[in-house]
Amino acid sequence: MATQHIIIGGGPVAINAVETIREFDAAAQVTLISDERAHSRMALPYWLSGQVPREHTYTADDASLKQLNVDARIGQRVESIDPDGSTVTLDDGSTLAFDNLLIATGSSPSELQIPGTDLSGVQNLWTLDHTQSLLDTIDGKERPKVVMIGAGFNACIMVNAMYKRGWQLAVIARGQMPSARVIDEGGAALVEPWLREKGVELHCGATVPSITDAGDGTKVVELDNGTTITADAVVMLVGVKANTDLVHGSGIEMDQGILVNDRMQTNFANIYAGGDVAQGPALYSDKPEVHAIHPTAVDHGRIAGANMAGHEVHYPGSLSMNVLDNCGLQTFCFGNWNDAEAETMTISNPGGYIYRKLLWRADQLVGAVLVGPANDMGMLTDVGMVKGILQTQTRLGQWKQFLAENPFDIRRAYIGAGVAQKLIGMTLTGQASRPRGFRFDGKIPTAKVSDAHATFMGTK
Amino acid sequence: MVKMLKIVPQKCTGCMQCELACSWVQTGTFQPSQSLIRVNVFDEEASYAPYTCLQCEEAWCMTVCPVNAIGIDDAIGATVVNDSLCVGCHLCTLACPFGTVFTTPQTHTAIKCNLCGGQPACSTTCPTDAIVYEENDQHGDWFGDWSQKVETNHLAAAENGGGS
Ligand SMILES: Cc1cc2nc3c(=O)[nH]c(=O)nc-3n(C[C@H](O)[C@H](O)[C@H](O)COP(=O)(O)OP(=O)(O)OC[C@H]3O[C@@H](n4cnc5c(N)ncnc54)[C@H](O)[C@@H]3O)c2cc1C
Ligand code: SF4
Repeated sequence: MATQHIIIGGGPVAINAVETIREFDAAAQVTLISDERAHSRMALPYWLSGQVPREHTYTADDASLKQLNVDARIGQRVESIDPDGSTVTLDDGSTLAFDNLLIATGSSPSELQIPGTDLSGVQNLWTLDHTQSLLDTIDGKERPKVVMIGAGFNACIMVNAMYKRGWQLAVIARGQMPSARVIDEGGAALVEPWLREKGVELHCGATVPSITDAGDGTKVVELDNGTTITADAVVMLVGVKANTDLVHGSGIEMDQGILVNDRMQTNFANIYAGGDVAQGPALYSDKPEVHAIHPTAVDHGRIAGANMAGHEVHYPGSLSMNVLDNCGLQTFCFGNWNDAEAETMTISNPGGYIYRKLLWRADQLVGAVLVGPANDMGMLTDVGMVKGILQTQTRLGQWKQFLAENPFDIRRAYIGAGVAQKLIGMTLTGQASRPRGFRFDGKIPTAKVSDAHATFMGTK
Repeated sequence: MVKMLKIVPQKCTGCMQCELACSWVQTGTFQPSQSLIRVNVFDEEASYAPYTCLQCEEAWCMTVCPVNAIGIDDAIGATVVNDSLCVGCHLCTLACPFGTVFTTPQTHTAIKCNLCGGQPACSTTCPTDAIVYEENDQHGDWFGDWSQKVETNHLAAAENGGGS
């Protein structure tokens, strides 16, 4: 009989797992249960900014799931898991049996415990519904004022999205902006003045005791330093928690997330977990970590999918990394950017908004921060090369000293130390990747050549 | 078998013609900083060689893209960006461990080598045949020797008090 796979969730873990299972096993039965439509959360800011329509965030539709031969239960929730009986129970009371289960339930923003969070116009900003709700609140207002409480990764991303809309913004950060979970102190020291220059009002080192309704539809956000801010909408993004409710008391082992091995298996060999809900092998850490980022979700989904389909592959570990566009100032952070014990090399030109920090343990790079104006940063080979050095865990030997003297010449060290060579032929699942099936416009990408190309070739 | 760009470092003179051709056909500028192929002029190591996307099998840029804007053009075996789908999130730039996926300031979307649809301008323009577009199933088989040379020569230069 065909293997029965059940997948809980509709984010990048779930969709990548489905596609990967199909790469290895056409006959397996696959059931996907997700309370939301399949989409990429990280595309939501581009919908909010007005750049793309809501549908652009979707990663599957009925037709594509049918094509993948998936029994999709969109709009339904899994209420409980019975690991010993190998069943899940859904919100309609039905019970489904599985051979393999993947828990890909993601994460949610932490709740702010203050009065006023239940007022209309005061909200989180994490899901499709949240994004719609903010757009509805703001609808018809000329230059709405929005207060963002929080300075974490998602808060920064959403601030940039709202900035692109031309909204008036105030950010309230407990510490630095962006927070230490996103960037080191030196990097934040450039982002803060840049944002202020762009007209974003920053309140760093402040907390919010309460939010009240002004009576005319606007909200009043009160700060502990006595300042009050009046706004059309208030967004709260003050931390992340893994969606592990389903797992409590089930016998599936947890710490900050569901603990998984390098095949994404929990303590039950036929129950897998991945993405924001999972705590798994991580590079530059001696213990499992939750890396609640999109690249880790993709990797986890693909590794879990392959293993569920009976194709044994092992994950070397996730690499913490992020890129932020802070209203035109770009920051890239990798690895352990706040490792207090690491040896550091730093260069900073605050006037030009350029900053670089490399963190070392002996001759091993363990983290990096790169900051610069977005228009310059995008055309550098350095960003990816730093990622390559960290991903391959290449010890740089003599090149460490070279980088101390030439911090902008990453390419020479990268090539000399043989990083690219190690990456050639490397794959995550043991075979060449294929693109996922679903695209917003359905068009298969083909290489585009410019008119300039034709003219140029004509001269040859 | 598909064709690939094979680099012959010994033949490269560091003349930058490929960078100019690439930046022109790909971004409409004559600016090496906008080129998708980069010539490494390593004087101290006595080594010159262009460097661009190897169209790797993993395609880290493609798998990481949240909106599936990157795909494979099967006719030429290149990993290509559909810029009308790209939202400009930079994740592919962040994820490509070769450093060969860029974001162009002109449209704020991702841009990478697409082999010019099967007629790579860099290879056409190179006066010394240091960039050869040929059938090859060994991605980057030339890479190891070149790396080795850069490393060895760098060490020698450093010991002689030159180099860095
Ligand atoms: C606004 C925003 C912007 C972001 N931007 C970036 C970025 O720029 N870069 C980056 O690296 N990361 C970014 N992230 C993080 C990234 O989106 C997540 O790491 C990624 O989505 C995690 O994927 P996942 O599949 O684990 O979970 P999710 O994408 O959260 O998907 C889980 C799904 O499962 C559903 N679900 C949960 N419980 C159940 C249940 N019991 N039954 C049925 N369905 C259930 C959820 O509703 C959800 O739809 C962003 C996140 C947000 C919210
Ligand atoms: S920058 Fe564009 S192509 Fe690259 S990952 Fe983001 S959406 Fe995809």
